[in-house]
Amino acid sequence: MEGRLANSWRLTVNDKNFIKTALLSEIRIDGRKPFEYRKISIKFGRQLLKEYFLIDAILLVEAIRCILLFCIIEEDGSSEVQLGQTRVMGMVTAQLVQPYRDRPKEGILSIFTEFSPMADPSFEPGRPGELAVELGRIVDRGLRESRAVDTESLCILAGKFVWAIRIDLHILDNGGNLVDAANIAALAALLTFRRPECSLGGEDGQEVIVHPPEIREPLPLTVHHLPVAISFGFFSNESILVIDPTHNEEAVMGGRMTTTVNANGDICAIQKSGGEGVPRRVIMQCLQLATSKAASITKQIKDAVEVFNTERALRKIKRHPTSTGDDVREKQN
Amino acid sequence: MENKQSSSPASFVDSTVVPGDVVLDLSSMTNQTIKLGGGLRQDCDAISAMKAGTLRFSKPNKYWIESSQKRYVPCVEDTILGIVVDSKADNFLIDIKGPAMGFLPVLAFEGGTRRNIPKFEVGTLLYLRVVKANFGMNPELSCTDASGKAAEFGPLKDGYMFETSTGLSRKLLSSPACPVLEALGKKLSFEIAVGLNGRVWVNAASPDTIVVVANAIMNSECLSGAQQIIMVDHLLKNIQ
Repeated sequence: MEGRLANSWRLTVNDKNFIKTALLSEIRIDGRKPFEYRKISIKFGRQLLKEYFLIDAILLVEAIRCILLFCIIEEDGSSEVQLGQTRVMGMVTAQLVQPYRDRPKEGILSIFTEFSPMADPSFEPGRPGELAVELGRIVDRGLRESRAVDTESLCILAGKFVWAIRIDLHILDNGGNLVDAANIAALAALLTFRRPECSLGGEDGQEVIVHPPEIREPLPLTVHHLPVAISFGFFSNESILVIDPTHNEEAVMGGRMTTTVNANGDICAIQKSGGEGVPRRVIMQCLQLATSKAASITKQIKDAVEVFNTERALRKIKRHPTSTGDDVREKQN
Repeated sequence: MENKQSSSPASFVDSTVVPGDVVLDLSSMTNQTIKLGGGLRQDCDAISAMKAGTLRFSKPNKYWIESSQKRYVPCVEDTILGIVVDSKADNFLIDIKGPAMGFLPVLAFEGGTRRNIPKFEVGTLLYLRVVKANFGMNPELSCTDASGKAAEFGPLKDGYMFETSTGLSRKLLSSPACPVLEALGKKLSFEIAVGLNGRVWVNAASPDTIVVVANAIMNSECLSGAQQIIMVDHLLKNIQ
C-alpha cells in the first residue's frame, strides 16, 4: 500500500487554494495570462541526436536515455515536441499490409501511445491507462475523421497491398496538457515522414517493387490540413476558463474540453469528457479562441518542418539521373 | 584504490567524487571527531563516497557530498518540506520526495502528549526536521528542534509550494544569501521556506508577487550570480 502512496503525485492544500485564488485575479502560476499558450519547441530526428549528445556530457541518466533513443530515432518521421515542461516524442513508421476487406483501396492509419513511468510516476508500465487510451482516441479522431492524411494515395495494389502508417507517441515528461503536445508531435512527425517509393512490376504487373531510399527519393505523405488540438480547463468558481492547463492546474480544475480545429477554422473534433457542464456560450468562446491559436500553431509546425526540409535537402544524396532500381540490381548480379 | 588512500584527504574537498572513492582516511586523523553528511559512509577507517557530486567541508568538522537531483535522499538534521499523505494511530505518513514515506510521530510536537494530537488533513504542507535516516527504515521526522522547541517547524499556511532540484534548494540556503533572493528581497516583501528535499514555499500579500518570486527562483537554476540579478531586474520591470 505504501508503495502505491509513494508513487502517486499529490498537490498540497496550499497549492490548490493558491491556484484558485490567483485565477480569480487572472494570474496563473507560471506567469501566463488565462488565454496564453506555452512556448512550443519542435525538433526532428537529427537535431534531437545532436542535442542529446551535448547534454549527455553532463547527465549520466540522460546518457542511458540517449542510447535508447539512438536505437529508435531514424531521420525522417520522428519529432520531439516540448510544450513548457511537457515532452512528447512522435514517430511514424510504415509497413506494407493487406487492406481491410471493406476498404480495399485505402491505406491504414493507426496510433499507439506509450506512457512511460519515467514521465510521471503515476503512469503504470504495461497496460495502457485511461488517459493513454483517451489521448490516443483524441489524436486518432482528429486525424482520421477530418481526413487530414490522404489514405487513398497509400494504396499500391487494390485489395492486396497498401501502406499501414503507424504513429507512436511516447510521453517523455508530463507537465500537463499531454493531448495538445502529443497531437503536435504526431503532426510534425507525419509531415516529415517519407515512405519508400513503390512500383508495380513482374510478368503480370502484380509484383510490388519497393525501391530503397538510396535508389529513389522516398515520398512524403499527402497531408491536406493540420488538425490542431487545443485544450481548455474549467474551474468551478465564477466559470473561469484557461487555455493549455499545466500539470498543477489539471489537478485542480473541474472539467476539460479539447477542441480540434485547423487553420481554416474548420472544427474537426470536440472532446468533453466528464467533469463540469459547460454552457453553449463558453463553448463558442472556446472555439473562437481555438481557431486563432490553431493558426499560430500551424504556422509554427510548418516553419519547423520547413527548416528541417531545407537542412535535409542540403544533405541530400546526389543520384545519377539515369540510375534506376533495375540497373543496380543488374550490376549486383 | 591504493593511490587514492595515500593522497591527502584535503585534496578531495571541493572536488568531484564518484561512488567508491575513498575520500578520508581515519587512521591518519586520530583524536579528531568528524560529522558525516549525505552521500558518505564509513567502512572501518575509510570514509567513502556513495554518490557522485562535490565533496564539501565546513569548519570545524562536517563533511558531505553535494549533488543536484530530483529525488531526495534523507539525511539526519536536514530541514525539509513534507506533505501529509495519511495519518495512523502513532504516525503521520509524510511524502518527502524520497524513496520511502517519512514517519512523523504524533508526539513529535512541542509539548506533545496523547491528549493534544494535532489534526492534519491530507495535503497539509509541513516544515520538518529529519531525526533518523537509517537504511531499510522509513525516515523519522520531527516538528521540533533538537531541544524540543517548536522553533519554526510546523504546518505552513497559504502561500504556494513548488518543486526544484535539491541542488537549487541548497543554493538558496547558502550564506551569503543567494543573489536571486537578495535581488528580490530588495524590491519585494515575501516569506520563504526552503526544504533541502527540493521544495520551496513562498508566501506574500498578493498572488502576483508569489508568482514572480516562484518563477524567478525556478529560472535561476542554471544562471550565474550576475545573470540572476539581471533576470530579476528584468522581471520586476515587467510587472511595474
